[in-house]
Amino acid sequence: MKKKNKVLAAALAGAMSISLLAGCSSSAQQGGTSSAASDSSAAEESSSTTAQSSTAASGEEDNVIRIGAIGPMTGGSAIYGEGAQNAIEMAVEEINADDSSPYTIEIVNGGEIADDAQDARQAMNAYNLVMADNPEALVGSFFSTVTLPIAEQAAVDNMLLVATGATNVDVTADKPTVFRDCFIDPYQGRMAALFVQSEGYSQVAVIYANDDDYSNGLKDAFIENCEALGIEVVYEGQCTTTDTDYTSQLSQVVASGAEFLYYPCFQDTVPLLVSQARSAGFTGAIMGGDGWDSSDTTGLESQFENCYFTNHYSSEDTSEAVQNFVTKYTETYGTESLNACASLYYDAIYMIYQAARNGGGTDTASLVEGMTGMTFTGVGGTFTLDENGDPQKQIVFNTFVDGEVQWFETLGPDGEVVASRES
Amino acid sequence: MTKKRALSYLLNFAGVAVLFAALTAMFAFNGFGDSTTYVEGVCTTACYTIIMVASLNLVVGFMGEFSLGHAGFVSVGAYVAAITSNALAGRGLSDAALLIVAVLAGGLAAGLAGVLVGIPALRLRGDYLAIVTMAFAEIIRVVFCNLEITGGGRTMSGILKLSTFGSTFWIMVVCVTIMFLFVRSRFGRTVQAIREDYIAAEASGINVTFYKVMTFAVSSFFAGVGGGVYAHYMTAMIPTNFDFNYSAELLSEVIIGGTGSLTGSIIGAAFLSALPELMRQFSTYRMLGYSVVLVLVMLFRPGGIFGRWEFSLTRALEKLAGRGKSKTGAPEPLPESPAAKPAPEKGA
Amino acid sequence: MTFSLFFQSLINGLNLGATYALIALGYTMVYGIIRMINFAHGDFIMIGAYTLFYTVPLMVDSGMPAWLAVAAAIVVCAIVGVLVETFAYRPVRKAGPMSALITALAMSIFLQNLAMVLFGSRPHNVSAIFSLPSVSVAGVTVSLNVVLTIVIGLAIMLGLQLFVQKTKLGKAMRAVPQDRDASTLMGINVNRIITVTFAIGSALAAVAALMYCTTYPRVTNDMGTTMGMKAFIAAVLGGIGVIPGAMLGGVLVGLIEVFVRLFAPGWYEAVTYATLIVILLVKPSGILGRNTGEKV
Repeated sequence: MKKKNKVLAAALAGAMSISLLAGCSSSAQQGGTSSAASDSSAAEESSSTTAQSSTAASGEEDNVIRIGAIGPMTGGSAIYGEGAQNAIEMAVEEINADDSSPYTIEIVNGGEIADDAQDARQAMNAYNLVMADNPEALVGSFFSTVTLPIAEQAAVDNMLLVATGATNVDVTADKPTVFRDCFIDPYQGRMAALFVQSEGYSQVAVIYANDDDYSNGLKDAFIENCEALGIEVVYEGQCTTTDTDYTSQLSQVVASGAEFLYYPCFQDTVPLLVSQARSAGFTGAIMGGDGWDSSDTTGLESQFENCYFTNHYSSEDTSEAVQNFVTKYTETYGTESLNACASLYYDAIYMIYQAARNGGGTDTASLVEGMTGMTFTGVGGTFTLDENGDPQKQIVFNTFVDGEVQWFETLGPDGEVVASRES
Repeated sequence: MTKKRALSYLLNFAGVAVLFAALTAMFAFNGFGDSTTYVEGVCTTACYTIIMVASLNLVVGFMGEFSLGHAGFVSVGAYVAAITSNALAGRGLSDAALLIVAVLAGGLAAGLAGVLVGIPALRLRGDYLAIVTMAFAEIIRVVFCNLEITGGGRTMSGILKLSTFGSTFWIMVVCVTIMFLFVRSRFGRTVQAIREDYIAAEASGINVTFYKVMTFAVSSFFAGVGGGVYAHYMTAMIPTNFDFNYSAELLSEVIIGGTGSLTGSIIGAAFLSALPELMRQFSTYRMLGYSVVLVLVMLFRPGGIFGRWEFSLTRALEKLAGRGKSKTGAPEPLPESPAAKPAPEKGA
Repeated sequence: MTFSLFFQSLINGLNLGATYALIALGYTMVYGIIRMINFAHGDFIMIGAYTLFYTVPLMVDSGMPAWLAVAAAIVVCAIVGVLVETFAYRPVRKAGPMSALITALAMSIFLQNLAMVLFGSRPHNVSAIFSLPSVSVAGVTVSLNVVLTIVIGLAIMLGLQLFVQKTKLGKAMRAVPQDRDASTLMGINVNRIITVTFAIGSALAAVAALMYCTTYPRVTNDMGTTMGMKAFIAAVLGGIGVIPGAMLGGVLVGLIEVFVRLFAPGWYEAVTYATLIVILLVKPSGILGRNTGEKV
């Protein structure tokens, strides 16, 4: 009976005293009221950014913007988290090195992104972990499924959250303190439909993962817009995120006579689908969303011909912001982890920085005020945040040439061609 | 005897209340500094994990059968509780009442699922039963992926945030108390008799199937309660959260803590659910560590760390008071149990 | 449904089923001898696949046929299998079936997470191993790969059957599960037999990995779980411990999955698992299994 609870008491008490210590050592030194022994590396890292603000605490007026970051550092998509970590470091260095900038940035949790392991169950703990350091704004996370619980809690706590890559509509809906710097699922799906129309396909098929928010969101928007545009959806098939065999669905795609296949899923299964589609005799175009970023095309170079995906940015984009980002990133970290996720975290840091300038303060309320309705120019182009906190932004179409991602064209928010390879 | 027992209950209750008061005070007065919210979150996680793990232990430890599909029942509870609280929101119920109603609904639904799964599945034993429970859990997941009311494979979000540390803690206390009474009851002893020798039990006129199915249902009920608390803590969930890996995780916590020891489950769940948080930077190695510990436990302590040993505050106090005197008959199988450690620690 | 779609699905189902069957052979082999579900078998395949991922390019570079990489995979898998058996399974064997099952589960989790630490969690594409053409017959694409997988599966099945039935070692293998003590008395080294069983079972995993990677050229650290589960279902369906049963079960599961996906793609997993449950309830020993009473 309750007897056990005594033992539980001991266990919990023990666990908590340990976690207290853990919390101390990982929190940056000026925020912790109980900082007995700060981790020396964290202290060093933060000391450069906080020379003039050692008493800073949440809500107090100072020139330091304290940002907490959450992202997938382990698990199947750790490559995204790696890019995000690098991009954040880069953005913070740039801002802090600029003597003319009125604010400096400090990433809490010792400068580290808190790991959500692409697992919704760990999202809340990651959120609480960064919140322990009294941040004034949060950045993250990348996957809709993980970001949804975080966004719900951030709205309750009145915490500014800039979601990166979480394209599900519900992430920002009815949450005045939640924003994002990526386009939303309906928009991405609509753009894919517009692409189908402009390329002149009339019969399309869709295969989507029915156990995933992202995939469902894109599928709904794509089908809705296709129907509105008079494009016939001849086949709609489900799979799951853990499937490896698509032959059954693909044989129906082929039998249905579709010329175009939409597969809005993540990069880990894309090579399987593409290779099976080609060996099933499907020769039409295959297209996906930003989840296709960083797909492995090794050994499937010829199968990936006539495949496209929409993305947040292209490293080949000639705009100054993009080239600046790509050059600096590649110099320091190489190209391995240079993905859209990196660009989104990079932009998110700059958005918060700009929000501080707009709002005239670094407390959360000023940041939210500065963020609401802002117009921002960054790696993801120039965009304005709408009443939900979602950006109306351009979208990049990529294709594959010899297995390498190649920029195809960039469309504006209303489907107009902003720039294209041919022009 | 009854007087002594009443005293013991009172004592234990006082202990639990003191613990709760201490923790609540710590949280209220920012006893953990800036990490208070974080620690509170970890403690809440620990509390609902305890409910799930202890309930699984009813099947694994006390019934001696092997369930690989506990996450399925957790998910039934989580979804039904979430749907109930959403439906009843704004009907004038207080948060606490709403949570209790929702969690009970979740528990009952999971218990019903337990009966429905148990009747066919419990005809099998051992590895076959393990496989069938896993299969049922997968089917439950697929069903939730295809039902509109659970989001149809999408994240079900906007669930009310009702689970606070306080409510979770007391729900956990109530659940564990009932489970403990269940195990110590005539019913529970019968189940343990079946575990020891089911052919002999059957020969003595025990309706083995009935007892097994009932135990399975009780276990599922509490799994559902745990799931209900989980849903109202996370506020958003997707069926893929409750996959085979989650079942395996819960099972390893039972095994490491000790099959047949609720104390073990509590400590196992509390410690193991806090552990990955304590060493976040090693989160890649978490499951690696689990599996190594699991193999080591199997090699050196096949009954789990606590075996069938149960902690008793009364006994611990008696020991403290009468130290040096004659060892009062300790029929428990593990007199030199490592669990002796936490006891004095608590007293301190 | 048109005839060509039906025929195409039949081919697809056979293809998927043949892969399951190859994996199921390994489960059944081990279960047949030591009455233990080797949960880690799917992860042995993962290890074989990673070995192929690293050795196939080496083979191609040195001008040898790519499939010879399977030799390396067989060696690696057999070593891992024997190590797992010696250090994890053998010490708990006396502790009863429950402990064995938990240990197997733990080994599965261990291997998966070890692979994640060693190779990362990012999926990799395995280079093409066979360059078999596809034949198009009346609108139906038949990949010759299917034929090859089925032929290899049948060959292994026959080989195993002969080995277990005819050789001295095979006879010893059959004796062990019947009565371990009596086998020891008859001069059979039970531990050695079990080690050999694991070596063979793991070597089968390497062959399965070869055919799996030909059909689904991708390796991840968690590929063993789902695939292993399906193959295990196949083994139980056909009658676990019965070698031809694994073949039959594999093909059945493959066909069920492909045909269910034609009509209700979101439900196919539920149907597979439900089939397993029904079979276990109706005939717990599987389609080709023999019912055995329980000893008191």
